[in-house]
Amino acid sequence: MRVSLPFGGLLATTAVATMVVATGLATPAHAENVTIRMAVPDWPPTRIMKQLADEFYQAPSGNTVTLEPDFIPWPDYQNRLSASLTSGEQRYHMAVSDSQWLGQFIEGGYYKNLTDIIAADPELQAIFDDLNQNLVDAYSTYPHKTENYYGFPQMPDVLITYYREDVFCNEAEAAAFNSQYGYDLPCTPEEMNDVDWDMVRDFGEFFQRTAGDELAGATLDDDFFGIAYQAGKGYDFSSMQINAFVWQHGGNIWDETQAPTGQAEGVVNSEMSVKGFEHYLSLLEYMPPVVQTGSMDIFKVDELFRAGKVAWIIQWIGFAESAISADTSTVHDQVNFAMAPGLRKDDGSLDRTSNIGGQPFVLTTWLTETEEQEAIDFVKWWLSEETQLRFVQAGGQSGLQSVYTQPEYNTFRPWNHAFGPSLDWQKDVWHVPDFMELLIQQQEEFDKAITGQQDAKTTLDNIAEFQQELLTDSGLIE
Amino acid sequence: MAWQSKQREIGTAGWGWAIFAGIIAFIYFFPVLWIILTAFKTNADILAVPPKFFFTPTLENFVSVFSRSYIKGQAAVDTGFDRFFFNSIFIAGTSVLLALVIGTLAAYGFSRYPLPGNDTYLFIILTTRMLPPIIVIIPIFIMFRIAGLSGTYPGIILLYTAFNLPFTIWMMKSFFDELSPDVEDAARLDGSSEKRLFFKVCFPQIIAGLAATAVFGLILTWNEFIFALLLTGVETRTVPVAMAQTIGGDIGVRWGLLAAIETLFLIPVIIVVFVLQKHLLRGVTFGTIKR
Amino acid sequence: MTAVTSDATGTPRWLTPSPRNWRLALLIAVVAIPGSIWLAPGNVAFWISFVAVSAVTLAVTINAWGRYPGPLLVAPAIALLFVMNIFPLMWSFGLSFFRFRVNRQAPPRFAGLDNYEKILTDPTVWDRLQTTALVVVFTVAIQMIVGFLLALLFEKEFPGRRVLLMLVLTPMMLSFVAVGAFFRFYYEPTFGLLSQAVRLFTGEPFILLKTPAGALAGIVFADAWMWSPFVMLLVLAGLVSVPKYLYEAAEIDRASWWRKFRTITFPYIRSLLLLALLFRTIEAFKLFDIVFLITDGGPGSSTETIAVYVFRVSFQFFRTSQSSALAYFILFIVIVLTNLYLYFARQRSQEA
Repeated sequence: MRVSLPFGGLLATTAVATMVVATGLATPAHAENVTIRMAVPDWPPTRIMKQLADEFYQAPSGNTVTLEPDFIPWPDYQNRLSASLTSGEQRYHMAVSDSQWLGQFIEGGYYKNLTDIIAADPELQAIFDDLNQNLVDAYSTYPHKTENYYGFPQMPDVLITYYREDVFCNEAEAAAFNSQYGYDLPCTPEEMNDVDWDMVRDFGEFFQRTAGDELAGATLDDDFFGIAYQAGKGYDFSSMQINAFVWQHGGNIWDETQAPTGQAEGVVNSEMSVKGFEHYLSLLEYMPPVVQTGSMDIFKVDELFRAGKVAWIIQWIGFAESAISADTSTVHDQVNFAMAPGLRKDDGSLDRTSNIGGQPFVLTTWLTETEEQEAIDFVKWWLSEETQLRFVQAGGQSGLQSVYTQPEYNTFRPWNHAFGPSLDWQKDVWHVPDFMELLIQQQEEFDKAITGQQDAKTTLDNIAEFQQELLTDSGLIE
Repeated sequence: MAWQSKQREIGTAGWGWAIFAGIIAFIYFFPVLWIILTAFKTNADILAVPPKFFFTPTLENFVSVFSRSYIKGQAAVDTGFDRFFFNSIFIAGTSVLLALVIGTLAAYGFSRYPLPGNDTYLFIILTTRMLPPIIVIIPIFIMFRIAGLSGTYPGIILLYTAFNLPFTIWMMKSFFDELSPDVEDAARLDGSSEKRLFFKVCFPQIIAGLAATAVFGLILTWNEFIFALLLTGVETRTVPVAMAQTIGGDIGVRWGLLAAIETLFLIPVIIVVFVLQKHLLRGVTFGTIKR
Repeated sequence: MTAVTSDATGTPRWLTPSPRNWRLALLIAVVAIPGSIWLAPGNVAFWISFVAVSAVTLAVTINAWGRYPGPLLVAPAIALLFVMNIFPLMWSFGLSFFRFRVNRQAPPRFAGLDNYEKILTDPTVWDRLQTTALVVVFTVAIQMIVGFLLALLFEKEFPGRRVLLMLVLTPMMLSFVAVGAFFRFYYEPTFGLLSQAVRLFTGEPFILLKTPAGALAGIVFADAWMWSPFVMLLVLAGLVSVPKYLYEAAEIDRASWWRKFRTITFPYIRSLLLLALLFRTIEAFKLFDIVFLITDGGPGSSTETIAVYVFRVSFQFFRTSQSSALAYFILFIVIVLTNLYLYFARQRSQEA
């Protein structure tokens, strides 16, 4: 169903024209008040959406449509959403959902299958063709990578590099680095884009200082560390980074697209996967001491960076705003951004395969016809070029190729240049209903390895064994 | 008269003891003090190494409790915190009072008119407190939806009342049990009605118990989180849920904001406890002691 | 004429319409409730059942008014507990004999004792129970001891007592969210107060949560710190109520401190001490928020308590009926434990 861009554009134009006519014809006597109640996590991308909707959204149907988001604290979002959905409360018309939750709520009959609606709607098809294919796969399809569609991107997110320019661009440090390692310390985003894990190790080793040492010409009053990435036990706060290592080394996680013949045993704990995981673990020794507790989650990494304790981190692009805000960051004027590093291949290019973040939004199954129509119209408005540009301007990201390839896109925020090229490297973790069980067991085992209680091989063996059993039980492995 | 309550004398200690107690209390209070200090710090001061005991205080965190900008570079908007705060006071206050009334009556019943299998009933009441609340969430959700209680004040108030009842009943029963039956028998011989007996004889003697029970009930209800998260709507949301907003999202933990909310949130309970303190310390038993 | 079957008109007594005829109300309810559930849509059935139950309650109340004060006093509490607690608990109890997951569309299937068999043979459950036992034993023991010592501290009147007492009481007034988040922060090696303090002496950052034992200590410390004041308050209420003349008499007898405590003080605080022990044990079994926020069960799964595990099974794995079975298994353990307390308490009180 991939239509070429100009054709899609044409379709969209025609549809918009039809829509305009239809709006003109709609008699005000039939106008209704419709409220779209949406479960959303409380953070800027959803706050911006609410604001844009209030300010700019006019329903093409002529109805008065109000978006009523229920802002729920992020840490408890999954609990609240699953309690509401599974109890049959039928409170929400739409919900923002982590892509991995698709299976568990689709199988329960809570998320609406949109395949037919999309097939019947050229405008939506145009939008889908314009979206980066990796986003469609991750955010919309269940079973993964089939042509069954459920969601649309609300806020796409990828892991990128944040680094301290004052440290990396310091001449004395650069000279010392060059004499020690025989190559130049990267300074500009372009140079930082060409960083592989071996160089990351060198940054870690080189910039690790203790209180009283010199750093970039100043005396440190506290320990300083070169690198940090997520290694926490909570939610998915180590898997997202470990998956990247495993994939880049040619290993794999249990591949749901291969079900029911794809195995966990022998794949999850394959030699390549173990090598990838060992590589991940080997860099931990250069990180701040909190990493040894298994509580260095994405928030702690962020906090350490903002407090000026680390030179270089990998973090979600959605967190970048706080790194350059004076009230939350002591290094706000010294930060720059680049793509996440990768593994150097034989031909010298980088394999940057990484785990996608961000959230789609979905429709629920109990919508009335009117509500469904309004929800779809709202999605179309949200994924229109105009709205997406406004969203990006306010600090969001867009998955529409026609938007993120515009040169203007990169001017909105200093990290935006790292977004578009990263998208092509994204893969996603499982979407199956057993997702949470797989994730929690895996995080637990990873945590044992991170805190030094267990080696990489044992860890992956344990995970593989558990997954093999669980997935065989639920019929996903034959 | 013999059964009239009189305040029990307690021993006194001098300044030396006061200083010793002061040191202990300060150490015990220190983690709370640090939270309160954090509320007055800027982000840089909060994450300072070594930790800062002396700093220029700022009220910024308190301002952003009530209004802050959710989107960078935009004007601050009302967070609705005053609403959450009102909700917390209203919901906790009402449900604690309700539980006190219903629970005291029940405790008096259990204590003075033991039913066959009295202890079994009491124990069953206690068992309702033993399960993780997460287990009853789904049926309660379904009940609330059918009865239209979801997201309403009566719904969450009734739930919290039930949540407070077991402790109230057990606590108040132990107070009633400690009262001397002789006193009541004497009053009964004087021709007092049961109603009069309860209000004129027993009630004055259990004020300390009521105060203590109210304090415990209030503290538990005030900070209850999981029901508040799942069963309140936008209109009836309480402060603990708002507090959870500060520990994840795009900035990780906003220490200053969390500390400021907690500091403000402490004030009403501290006031209530301080007012009731006199009763808490008056002792639980009066007059002749039942042994 | 026997009063059992009829009144003057010959109608059987239980058929006479009267506000206090609870038997008739009950009969109507017994017919109406299943009937409405069978015939009417859910909402209507709910309200019909509601009215029927209210009618029965009302009739029973009117009948009991003035005649059975005991049950009448107890009734409102029982009614509320039934609706809000016992009914949902029965619901989950029923579910524990089925095979059901809320995130699957398959209807519940009867499974007998399968769920119970599964959890009893699951090593994870036993592992989490061991962790919980450790936490409960340590945290309750520390709370009782510290609470008791604090009560001794505040037993006597001294200058500033009221204010100092407030300071000690504040920890239990804090929200779990704040306590969890801040204690994790205090234990954190880079910014944390604990690590900073240790570093002053050793020069090395102190990483408490690195080992399972350290993490467990961190959780127990936070929980015990938060709830010792609860024990203190109960013990204090008992201590200040001991008549002074008893001590004075003991002074004359030159009784030892221990003897005074055993024969005078302890009887006054015994029932309150038991209450504190009972409620703190029950609460410690449910310990959830603090564990979740401080260690999230880590390192590995070494500090994952059974309450956290129940949460995972029910709300993250969506093994709905299995989590109900697990909850009832825990309930069984707690019931046995609390009954043991009550048994010993009763024995002691008979000895006394």
